[in-house]
Amino acid sequence: MKPSRAGDPYWLLLPTLLLLFVFFVFPLVMLVEHSLFSWDLLTPARYVGLANYRSLLRSGELWQTFGTTLSMSTVVVLGSMTSGLLLALLLDRPGHWAAFVRSAVFSAYVVSWVSVGLLFLWLLDADSGILARIYSHFSQGRAPRWLADPALAPWAVAAVTIWKITGYALVIFLSGLQDVPVSVLEAAELDGATAMQRFRSVTWPLLRPTTLFVATTSLIASFQLFDVVRVMTQGGPVRATTVFVYAIYEQLFLDLRVGRASAEAVVFFGVLLLLTGAQFLLFRTQESA
Amino acid sequence: MRARRTATASTPRVQDMLARREFLRATAVAGSGLLGASCAVNAVPKGRTLVSLWFSYGGTNREVLEQLVDRFNRTQARDFVQAVYQGDYFEGLAKLRTAIAARCAPVLSHVVGEVVPYLAEAGVLEPLTDYPGLADLDLIPELGQQRSWLNGGTHPLYALPFNRSTPIAYLNAELFAQAGLEAPRTWDELRTVAKRLTEPKAGGRFGFGCPINWWFWVALVGQAGGAIVAPDGRIALGDGAGVAALELWQELVREGSLKPPPGRDYNAWEQCNQDFLSGRAAMIWSSTAFLKYLEAHARFKLLAAPLPAGVRRAVPTGGTFWIVLRSAPKPEKAAAARFLRFMHETQQVIDWSTRTGYIPVTHSAVRALEQRNYYGAHPNDRVALSQLSVAEPWPWSVDLFRIQREIVQPRLESAVIQQRDARALLVEARALAMEPT
Repeated sequence: MKPSRAGDPYWLLLPTLLLLFVFFVFPLVMLVEHSLFSWDLLTPARYVGLANYRSLLRSGELWQTFGTTLSMSTVVVLGSMTSGLLLALLLDRPGHWAAFVRSAVFSAYVVSWVSVGLLFLWLLDADSGILARIYSHFSQGRAPRWLADPALAPWAVAAVTIWKITGYALVIFLSGLQDVPVSVLEAAELDGATAMQRFRSVTWPLLRPTTLFVATTSLIASFQLFDVVRVMTQGGPVRATTVFVYAIYEQLFLDLRVGRASAEAVVFFGVLLLLTGAQFLLFRTQESA
Repeated sequence: MRARRTATASTPRVQDMLARREFLRATAVAGSGLLGASCAVNAVPKGRTLVSLWFSYGGTNREVLEQLVDRFNRTQARDFVQAVYQGDYFEGLAKLRTAIAARCAPVLSHVVGEVVPYLAEAGVLEPLTDYPGLADLDLIPELGQQRSWLNGGTHPLYALPFNRSTPIAYLNAELFAQAGLEAPRTWDELRTVAKRLTEPKAGGRFGFGCPINWWFWVALVGQAGGAIVAPDGRIALGDGAGVAALELWQELVREGSLKPPPGRDYNAWEQCNQDFLSGRAAMIWSSTAFLKYLEAHARFKLLAAPLPAGVRRAVPTGGTFWIVLRSAPKPEKAAAARFLRFMHETQQVIDWSTRTGYIPVTHSAVRALEQRNYYGAHPNDRVALSQLSVAEPWPWSVDLFRIQREIVQPRLESAVIQQRDARALLVEARALAMEPT
């Protein structure tokens, strides 16, 4: 369709562009600018160039935060995808029971992160939580301190996150499974393919775009993990669960290091940009294949 | 037929419209009613000066503060204090600093002692010396600016004490009696008591619980004979005493007799209190601020005791100080000063301290309580007050808060939970503390 006046599309785009500029571009420019200053909000800001970035790198804080975020995200993505796919394969059938379980699993996804954090704080209590009681039923010693041990806490938080977002993966995989042509599956069955062979040679290849979508969106979501960390561990013990967003929050709102928090946010933005770029690349490769 | 159909078809539409109109009217009335009600709650009586107060107390302490504010608002007709809760100390402080930068700070707030020098040197605090009656309050010097900081009296008066505390030990008296033990008076006795009262089996008990927190470490550093800042101004972090303090914690954790509670900041404190109340810890170190809460909720006889001595006895003071923000308009600052004078009157000081567990901050309040034999009836309340004789002042350092939060606190956790070398961690911390920000 050709517009009657050449300028019309731009006028129509203007409100969106204005909103994008005010709420995305302008804050981003401010963020980059602040990352070049040392500022505590109270005393005048001092230009320090790239010192905030150097300090983050030299202290090892950036690498530690990146490592924690990446390892937790990897576990979250793999865990939620695997459980989501398994549940989707089990529940991709008619009937009240399957519908009930599908709804039950998905319901966790719509519960607020804070509620989930508080619930698991209680379940994982090392002395009186349900897990501790089960553990002490089979063992004489004290239950592991899931949230107080730096070696366990990141995985405990990751497990809670998997529990929370599995419902999302389940729904997407279910819609992917419904796109798999029944005729192809039936043809494979007639050819004598076992259930495992049908999954490996028919379902799984056809689910690849869905898998890619779930992987990318879950990865980005897990990189933005904050609420559950804030409620359950506050980034501890010994910074073992200090993920990117929590580190930025801590620098900005608890330590009031505006410059360093901005530098960390710029790096985080870069990482997310890379992830999104990788997603586009993968999608394009997929399409051309 | 057609006419009837038209009538029947049109009737519900009119009814719908009427219903919708009535619904909108009712919503508008309800909305304005709610707005009116909320305005009525927050309304400032005509002719009064409004003082916005940001505070950081939860639970009982919040209720007591709100009652005192209400009393102030009822007993005079000149000023009106509006108290708003802002989260725990650190959340409240973050909001305060952000509000100062955004030029929408309240008139009055209260902050932890460690941050007062920083705020004062940043020029955001109003000097209170010239406000009538504030410079000559009969404050207990260890709790006021004068001796809460080294040479605190040489600076203009920026901070007035309100909820002031020291760390104390809380004992489950029944468990101590069963084991034939008394409150530990030395570090060696602390080791013995913690070990004797520990039951390592599943569902068992820790002899000792203590948040791995800067405040308690500073207490241990003082007891080991050290200081955070050396007399020459060098950031010493206790030198050898800092290491000894950390090693004591490490040893107790290694033996399984000390439970470092999970969570950070006040989450860990709350967890520690819950461990004590549920019998999972026979003794804890916490603030005197929790005295009334713990007494009210303990299902066993609770005893408060002073902290033990290392090579000497020492405790830091804690809690917060009132501050007035320089950016506020003059009439509001004068009104805030009148409120502060009211809060330091004997009756208010007594009400606050006896209902919360904080230390009364004026001599007159302590005298009045002694006359009523309050401490005879409530010996636990005397523990923190008596410890003031060994209270150590904080250095007046703008870097103190940064050193506490960014440098020392994460290393304390690392040393105790991961059992890393205490000496190496403190060497690293000292080097970082000396770096320019």
